[in-house]
Amino acid sequence: MNRDYYIFSNGRLKRKDNTIYFIDSGNNKRALPVEQVDKIHFFGEVDFNSNLLSYLPRFGVMLNVYNYYGYYSGTYYPRKKNVSGFLVVNQAVYYNDYNKRIALARSFVESSIYHILRNLRRHKEVTEEIIDKIEKEKANITKANKIAELMGVEGRVRKWYYRGFNCILREEFILKGRNRRPPRDPVNALISFGNSLMYTAVLGEMYKTQLDPTISFLHEPSTKRFSLSLDIAEIFKPLIIDAVIFKLINNRVIKEEDFDIEEEICFLNEEGKKKFIEEYETKMATTIKHRKLKRKTSYKMFIRLECYKLIKHFIGDEVYKPLKAWW
Amino acid sequence: MFVILTYDVDVKRVNKIRKLLKKYLTWTQNSVFEGEISQGKLNQCLSEVENIIDKSYDSIYIYNVKSSKFISKDILGENKNFDELFL
Repeated sequence: MNRDYYIFSNGRLKRKDNTIYFIDSGNNKRALPVEQVDKIHFFGEVDFNSNLLSYLPRFGVMLNVYNYYGYYSGTYYPRKKNVSGFLVVNQAVYYNDYNKRIALARSFVESSIYHILRNLRRHKEVTEEIIDKIEKEKANITKANKIAELMGVEGRVRKWYYRGFNCILREEFILKGRNRRPPRDPVNALISFGNSLMYTAVLGEMYKTQLDPTISFLHEPSTKRFSLSLDIAEIFKPLIIDAVIFKLINNRVIKEEDFDIEEEICFLNEEGKKKFIEEYETKMATTIKHRKLKRKTSYKMFIRLECYKLIKHFIGDEVYKPLKAWW
Repeated sequence: MFVILTYDVDVKRVNKIRKLLKKYLTWTQNSVFEGEISQGKLNQCLSEVENIIDKSYDSIYIYNVKSSKFISKDILGENKNFDELFL
């Protein structure tokens, strides 16, 4: 499987010998096997030129850039090879018909809540009360007739869910409600960083399919973002990112010194980011035997499969049933 | 699958082979490459190799392991090159 590389040091990325070389500021050269690269993530200051940029699209390599705080700033991606006007038209039809749109939005929320409950049930002894509250809220999904109501349901569920974090996490890490831009405490910093990674992962997988990432269903298809990635990321956030956060904190992998806290603004420092990414990559590469495909499937592949299911839904082949982790 | 590939080719072709293999695997020592690769990619790589080598003189060994879990690597002396997630 193609893999991701994360560049934290400063240096230069260049095309040489028909592959990619990374030369760091100490002049150490490393060749990356271009055929095996899926995405490259830049966290440090890296130079590159058009020679490299014109070479990478041939191998479908995406470059993701993050700013100093680890927020996603942008992507350089190859010319889209998988395009289908037919699918885009159909996808737009599903957006335009409010009933069809809300049905899809409902299934995203449903799946997201299913995974939230799945996380909470793992710590049943301490979260029983919250599970009850969320179960009650869950009934409102079918009642909601407007996207805004659906977003409301999701918002309230998340509020309870984040309250549940305090029961699950070790007592040194307290989550006093979700805040972002900027995050104010370590747990919020972890969630924000994780969501950044999730967004790029979904975008990367969606890019390999014919879906148009701008036409979304739960989120408003705003002009500035690939909002369908946000829709699909909803499903995977509790399944992947939150599981990683619980593991990192409860197994004492991430400690307080892995965060930079300045004037009530909290961010992961380099060491913290590396720890997070390492655990996240292991999670993404973990395989589960797929019920239908009858073969081992990684979490990363599950994201792509979700895109394929949506495609099937749009072209009227098979009704979309969101992922509900059965393992 | 995890592959260790070693080659012994005429000096004239050494650089060509090395450059080609760098596209697919990680260079660990002189004449040794290793890394995780899919069967399809490996076939693609080997067919490119076949175009360069002289089969009556050169030799390429490919050791493959189904999963990198079942292989361990101990290093004596300096670790020349390693495959890492972070750069």
